[in-house]
Amino acid sequence: MLLKPKIIWIDGVGCNGCSHSFFNLTYIDTLLNKIELLYHPLLDTDEFKIQKSDILIIEGALKDNFQKFNKNLIEIVEDLFSLTTKIIALGSCASFGGIFGEGILFNKENLGRFYNYKDKIINLPGCPIHPEWLGYVLEMIITKKPIVLDEENRPKEIYSFVSHSGCVRNEYFDWKVDSEDFGTKEGCLFYNQGCQGPFTHSSCNKILWNEVSSKPRAGLPCFGCTERNFPKINLFQTDTMMGIPTKIPLGVNKRAYLTLAGIAKSLKNERLEKRLFEYEKTNNKN
Amino acid sequence: MKKLITKIEGEAILNITGDKIVEMVEIEFYQFRGIEEYLKNKNFMDSLVINPRICGICGHSHLIATTKAIENAFNTKITKKAKLFRQLTLNFEIIENHIKWFYITLFPTQIKDKKFLFKAIQLSQNLSKAIALITGQYPHTSYAIPGGITSDITYLELSKVKNIIDEVLQTQTLFEDLKLFFENLPKEIGKSNNRFLKASEVELSQIYEKKNQKHQFVTYDNLFFEVGPLARQKENIKEIYNKYEDSIYSRIYARLFETIELLKQNLKICDEIDLSEKSYIKPNIISNKGHSIIEAPRGILIHEVDILNEKIQNYNIIVPTQFNLSSDKNMLSAAQKAIIGEKIEYIDTIFKCFDICAVCVGH
Amino acid sequence: MKESKKEVIMKTALTLFAKKGFYVTTIADIAKEMGMSVGNMYNYFASKEALAKELLLYTSRKFGDEIRKINEQTITSKEKIEKIIELYFTMAVNEPELVDYFMRVYLSNKEIFNNGCEGMLCVSAFVTEIMIFFEEGVRKKELKNQDFFVAFGLFMGYIGGIVFLNNDGVLPKPLSEYSKDVSENIYNALKA
Repeated sequence: MLLKPKIIWIDGVGCNGCSHSFFNLTYIDTLLNKIELLYHPLLDTDEFKIQKSDILIIEGALKDNFQKFNKNLIEIVEDLFSLTTKIIALGSCASFGGIFGEGILFNKENLGRFYNYKDKIINLPGCPIHPEWLGYVLEMIITKKPIVLDEENRPKEIYSFVSHSGCVRNEYFDWKVDSEDFGTKEGCLFYNQGCQGPFTHSSCNKILWNEVSSKPRAGLPCFGCTERNFPKINLFQTDTMMGIPTKIPLGVNKRAYLTLAGIAKSLKNERLEKRLFEYEKTNNKN
Repeated sequence: MKKLITKIEGEAILNITGDKIVEMVEIEFYQFRGIEEYLKNKNFMDSLVINPRICGICGHSHLIATTKAIENAFNTKITKKAKLFRQLTLNFEIIENHIKWFYITLFPTQIKDKKFLFKAIQLSQNLSKAIALITGQYPHTSYAIPGGITSDITYLELSKVKNIIDEVLQTQTLFEDLKLFFENLPKEIGKSNNRFLKASEVELSQIYEKKNQKHQFVTYDNLFFEVGPLARQKENIKEIYNKYEDSIYSRIYARLFETIELLKQNLKICDEIDLSEKSYIKPNIISNKGHSIIEAPRGILIHEVDILNEKIQNYNIIVPTQFNLSSDKNMLSAAQKAIIGEKIEYIDTIFKCFDICAVCVGH
Repeated sequence: MKESKKEVIMKTALTLFAKKGFYVTTIADIAKEMGMSVGNMYNYFASKEALAKELLLYTSRKFGDEIRKINEQTITSKEKIEKIIELYFTMAVNEPELVDYFMRVYLSNKEIFNNGCEGMLCVSAFVTEIMIFFEEGVRKKELKNQDFFVAFGLFMGYIGGIVFLNNDGVLPKPLSEYSKDVSENIYNALKA
């Protein structure tokens, strides 16, 4: 009988979105039964106290002079860090700073103030995280399996993919049929709507959100929320230089991409040039 | 004495005077993030990504309020389809909020049993799925943009949404669990000012907000009002309200009642939607001020935006918790009045009956 | 072996197109000039259309390669413009049939190229290099960020126009002596 790992989950400066996203994990009941949750910001647990833990989960960013539990947030984090074996930086705020403050291991393009804890920290950026990302990490830790991390301490099994992998609009990307505007399921959102899918590490279109969908399926561009510089300025616009996107799919060199794009743009895919189907206007309401 | 209240999407501190009975209470919020400042000088479209992230449980309401405020500034029209979808998803968020609040936040103040947590999670996962079918993901979508919505829904998604509503209606046991909750709790405690405000009644010029302080202060017509489900539903729950006035029982009952009502309303909305209409009509972007006043899960939510050459000059947000949990020595807010005169042991329950969102206050 | 013969055929074709005109010149004319049989010609090019397309790819790649060499130098955008103009004007003088084909035949006979050379398909080697040049310039904040086609039109229209004037015998000075001023005008129009 494996001893249940003791987990403390605290929130820094954030919105608690990662907690609420985690509540959407389909197997959360079985998972919660495998751990001992010493504290959670929303779920009913014992009162918070500085104590040892096997895993420390922290969602939300760091900020000076931020009051929590009648103490200073940074002091609480320092104390808890020294009493734990594994730290999960949950969400973009904790991983990289996000919108509200500093990240733990990394702070945007700089190193975070707890960089010396690098070996203990697993980064799970995302705004919010996908519940399965945390579910996966906890399962791996519980069953003592090693998690392979990339240079930003993100699990490769989740973050080796890009948002573009599995996007239903792939055909439109391939044939450079750009969406002129919002509101249609047809068209690629890369050129005119600021989609960062081709160069954002995530598995959003691989495992889908809430088991059913993803932003591009709902006509929204990927906002690159798992990357260090999230959020960028002008999230709905593609940064271009002389009409050429400044960021292109990962692993492709610019010349190759431009040549391919130019060829695709010159050729026509008739099926994709028009809407897949149309609804007949209904004038009567029943 | 100072009492720290947690598990309210953040924290608050109550400054209580009184031994066994509360003589006076002051409410402090001290965790601020500075979103209004962050939005300054950003392109107006960015607010659609930033503002939902004010809150992880009621972020969708912020999205709708943001989009509507910008549309108000641009004087944009949207299609009926877009309007209905937005109401549909906003309702879903309200429903999910009430369920989570009831089982995860409120229930443990009286009954500690994990099965209620799992009940809430089961229902809210389904509701999140319904929202995601329309908006791509939940939490944190930006699908409602000035001009309409970004999604192009088919009956494949819409029929699934309807089935989820049916399932939630059939599997929920809210009113049975309400009985359980009140087994050992008096129903008549927590009576307050009995003074309510709904979004439809608000004239923006009558709103006054003191900013940047730990004692929230939002008045309407120079008085503190109560906003939220009881304000919205008291006409519809006349029997209960007449018997229990604005006690915690009415406050809780109104939320559960609203949950069922909105689920039924959503079924109707699904049938009303005409998918052949356009999702989005490109708005005419101008420099102007705009605002929106909507009903969010916890009550009235106000967004005000000032756009100049596509950039945000100014943005102001007033959240429902600011209304209900204002704190003053001379005038008593809804939450203050509800707690004062009651036993100290009931503070947590009475306080949480107002369904507090501390992160929203700390925007 | 076949490749270099192919190149000779193409060069011969280019000369004839420039001298006699594209439509007038036939496969037979080219074969005669090469001292080949018409049947043998068809071993290399299935039709005049096929030859026309390959010529386009050939000229585009040739320009593209030269511009790529300039792109890869660590010099300023201003200097790159000067070198590209210099390259173009030099080619216009030394291999006029090449420039003539690219600017005259291609642009005036689009219908030949519609099947298999749609849009920028056959000139992508050249256009890609111009794109790379522009993008680098904007990235280094030397060129103004603007619509690609606005900049491209200015660039190509201008140098094409000067070459046309030169070919019509209107310019008083040799083409190379206009290189500096033309480059400066282009740079002033595109600079950040």
